[in-house]
Amino acid sequence: MPFIQHTDEDRAAMLKAIGVKSIDDLYGDIPADIRVKPDGDRVKLNPSMGELEVTRHIQSLLKSTKNANDYAFFRGAGIYNHHVSTLADHIALYDGNFITAYTPYQPECSQGTLTTVFEFQSCITALTGFEVSNAGMYDGASALAEAVMMGYRLTADAFRKETRETVVLAGAIHPEYAATVKTYCETSGLKLVTVPAGKDGRVDADKLKAALTREASVVAIQSPNFYGVIEDVESLVKSTHDNEAMLVQVIAEAVSLSVLQTPAEAGVDICVGEGQSIGNHMFMGGPAFGFFASRKDNVRKMPGRIVSETTDRDGKRAYALALATREQHIRREKATSNICTNQALCALRALIQLAAWGKGGFVELGRQVVSKTQYAIKTLTAVNGVELAYPNQPVFNEFVIKTKPGLDKKLIQQGIMGGLPLDAVNMGSAGEYLVAITELTTKEDIDKYAAALA
Amino acid sequence: MSNIPTNPADRLLFELSKPGRRCVTFPKLDVPEVDIADALKGAKLRKEPARLPEIGELDLVRHFKNLADKNYSVDKNFYPLGSCTMKYNPKINVTLLAQAGYTKAHPYLPEQDVQGHLELMWNLENYLREVSGLDEVTLQPAAGAHGELTGVMCIKAYFEAKGEGDQRTEFLIPSAAHGTNPATAAMAGFKAVTLKEAANGNIDIEELKKKVGPQTAGMMITNPSTLGILEPKMREIAEVLHGVGAQLYMDGANMNAISGIVQPGDYGIDVMHFNLHKTFSVPHGGGGPGAGPIAVRKHLAPFLPTPRIKKNGDGSFAYDYDRPDTVGKVRSFFGNFGALVMAYIYMTQLGREGVRRMSENAVLGANYIRVMLRDYYHVHHDRTNAHEVVFTDKKQDKENGVHTLDIAKRLIDYGIHPMTVYFPLPQNTGGQGAMMVEPTETESKESIDYFIDCMKKIAQECKDNPDLVKSAPHTTPVKKVDEKTASTNPQLYCSMCLG
Ligand SMILES: Cc1ncc(COP(=O)(O)O)c(C=O)c1O
Repeated sequence: MPFIQHTDEDRAAMLKAIGVKSIDDLYGDIPADIRVKPDGDRVKLNPSMGELEVTRHIQSLLKSTKNANDYAFFRGAGIYNHHVSTLADHIALYDGNFITAYTPYQPECSQGTLTTVFEFQSCITALTGFEVSNAGMYDGASALAEAVMMGYRLTADAFRKETRETVVLAGAIHPEYAATVKTYCETSGLKLVTVPAGKDGRVDADKLKAALTREASVVAIQSPNFYGVIEDVESLVKSTHDNEAMLVQVIAEAVSLSVLQTPAEAGVDICVGEGQSIGNHMFMGGPAFGFFASRKDNVRKMPGRIVSETTDRDGKRAYALALATREQHIRREKATSNICTNQALCALRALIQLAAWGKGGFVELGRQVVSKTQYAIKTLTAVNGVELAYPNQPVFNEFVIKTKPGLDKKLIQQGIMGGLPLDAVNMGSAGEYLVAITELTTKEDIDKYAAALA
Repeated sequence: MSNIPTNPADRLLFELSKPGRRCVTFPKLDVPEVDIADALKGAKLRKEPARLPEIGELDLVRHFKNLADKNYSVDKNFYPLGSCTMKYNPKINVTLLAQAGYTKAHPYLPEQDVQGHLELMWNLENYLREVSGLDEVTLQPAAGAHGELTGVMCIKAYFEAKGEGDQRTEFLIPSAAHGTNPATAAMAGFKAVTLKEAANGNIDIEELKKKVGPQTAGMMITNPSTLGILEPKMREIAEVLHGVGAQLYMDGANMNAISGIVQPGDYGIDVMHFNLHKTFSVPHGGGGPGAGPIAVRKHLAPFLPTPRIKKNGDGSFAYDYDRPDTVGKVRSFFGNFGALVMAYIYMTQLGREGVRRMSENAVLGANYIRVMLRDYYHVHHDRTNAHEVVFTDKKQDKENGVHTLDIAKRLIDYGIHPMTVYFPLPQNTGGQGAMMVEPTETESKESIDYFIDCMKKIAQECKDNPDLVKSAPHTTPVKKVDEKTASTNPQLYCSMCLG
């Protein structure tokens, strides 16, 4: 049997020690009439496959797929085709001591994982400017939902006499994130108000002000937003704070933190994001991880695992899980979240990737992305009939073009996976495409795309 | 931050950093370089580069290698962490996953480009449907707790659709349940009502009957329970709940005991989650990622998150977003797809026979451990158990003043990762510290016997030299860690990363 090492003698010896005749005798608590018969009449899985057969099977499934390598690739919208360092694979996938360990509950034999989580938190601190980061959430969408819940808790705590149960989603937020926030709000009884983006692709500041009633506890924005436009975060913070509410910023392209103002400096209260861009493969959208950062005084309201530096009995530096009284295993129904298993290995990958890029590499990466994005904007909009949907707005790596609809098939035939058609995700009209650029996008790709649009 | 350690092997990445060092280089820019401030006019920029470490490749590799070696892991150590199912993670899972067909698959590729991925998800859903005996499966939840939340949301939506949303405000949770259960109920807007178990650890049906009513939305039950024993009255429990119109949720974290033995659907449950990172060998990754698919009965299927995967008449696969009653999205895209691929490879390898054998051998090992150690440690329920067994420190506490945590730490000195400790909580284990042992089916008898020997030795040490046990571990890179200060005076980042 695959992966089971007991011989028949082993099994016989164990059964004898237990004092039963067969393994069946250990299942006396399952009524006989619903026990699955050993011949598998009820559970109809395939017969077992060996390494050879399963490899063949997986390769045959992959035959009917294509991936970013098969195209000049311009799709992003939350998952980006960056280069992933081989170091991330070697350390995170092939060193069994990270990938086959559990959550580091026992610090004395988990210093490896604990130290990397501490270093990961430190890197998120370096990127966001916030003193507190947790060890990661499931993804950007659920991180945003949890941040909204946390913002609500903070406001509810600060204004106990008021009922402030409205959450405002402002501007162009990734539709998958917005849908997730909506689900979480509905189930926990919070009211959701959506303030759509204005004609310029940004948060409509006047509409936001109107939505900021005294009931509003949290404003959530995305920057760079779903259309790629960099929001004026500082002024959104100001209007939010004028109403004594919390501002949550979500970031879908974490690499934008290489050049943009830190959320902490902008005055954001909680910053979350999707970390896939940093060291994680695309994998159809998961697993990657959500990052989650805030100011020090908010730490006791944060969800998720947090690691702290401490010492061992001899005074030697050591790391341990901290502040567990926020968490479900201690606080049960009063916990800040139900999260338990997170995406630790993906966070480790991000740490490795950030270290591999290093301070200088991360800056250079950001510059390359900006330069290539600018070249793409110039080249694509030089084509007759192609224009920016939101002209004169600052963008980092993504932008929306308007062109004639229905070109997708032709592009694919020419080996080009163009921008995401926005009508397909209900975020725009036919002929609008969200184009994403990474350091892997070449001039040749861009020129080819432009030629095909002409 | 105190002094930087002299041995580079003991330093943090930030302490290894030196300006100008570098691993990754980029190809020369093939487009004109722009001035960032100029190109991003109107946007505020960073004042200084993020203070990431600057490090050469060998130092980076060595740093992580040294850290990896400080971990205990399934690849290196027996790891009988109860409730976590630390089984062997086949290497082929990782090898097959690390192919461009998966790593370079973008979620917004058109359907015709991802047919093999949709087929894999479709097949995996079918596998889980078979193992659960329920009607429909979603693979989207990222972990067990996320599956719980999704399942409880479906139940809530079901009652709202029936017009009973305002009435059904309570969820019953057995007192020994995992912390995620009550936390989930609360997150979904329910009142978590604790249900006390009977003295034998099973659900107390009379108590249950007293607590249910028109206000009950459902109950979350773990089977086998967190006390490591099968619940013999599952069908009766389901009947009691259904009798008042409520739903039964099964926490399937412990499916390693009963997969292929009984289809939980036959118990009458309405919804359950799987922890693919426990039962179906997705590596735990030091805390994740996992996957927590849920399986539901037909009446709850309309509420599952979108998209669902559907098979067209011509055999091709497609996303189905046309689900007007869906609870919505619980995360982005389709789930932890990479984790799903690994679980699928594992299940395909096990097949029908293998899944049953997996459970049988897991249960065999755990019962063997109970019997072999029952004279040395107090067994909380000394009766046939499932895939894990809960001991307590009653004997060592009373006789030697040694506690669960000490015993756990002493195991580390013998090269074994501690069992799960203090779960279930002392209130569920007679006021004593629990030691929950789950060997899994993939451990050899020799490894299990070595564990048994070590536990016997430790029992003797508790008598002969209790201080040796209480001051453990002695062989680790760090000695007993001051976890209290970590929480009272948290230091959450390296000071070198912030200006
Ligand atoms: C019984 C039980 N229920 C639920 C969970 C939560 O699962 P996860 O950690 O995948 O969120 C766990 C494991 O941690 C568990 O042991």
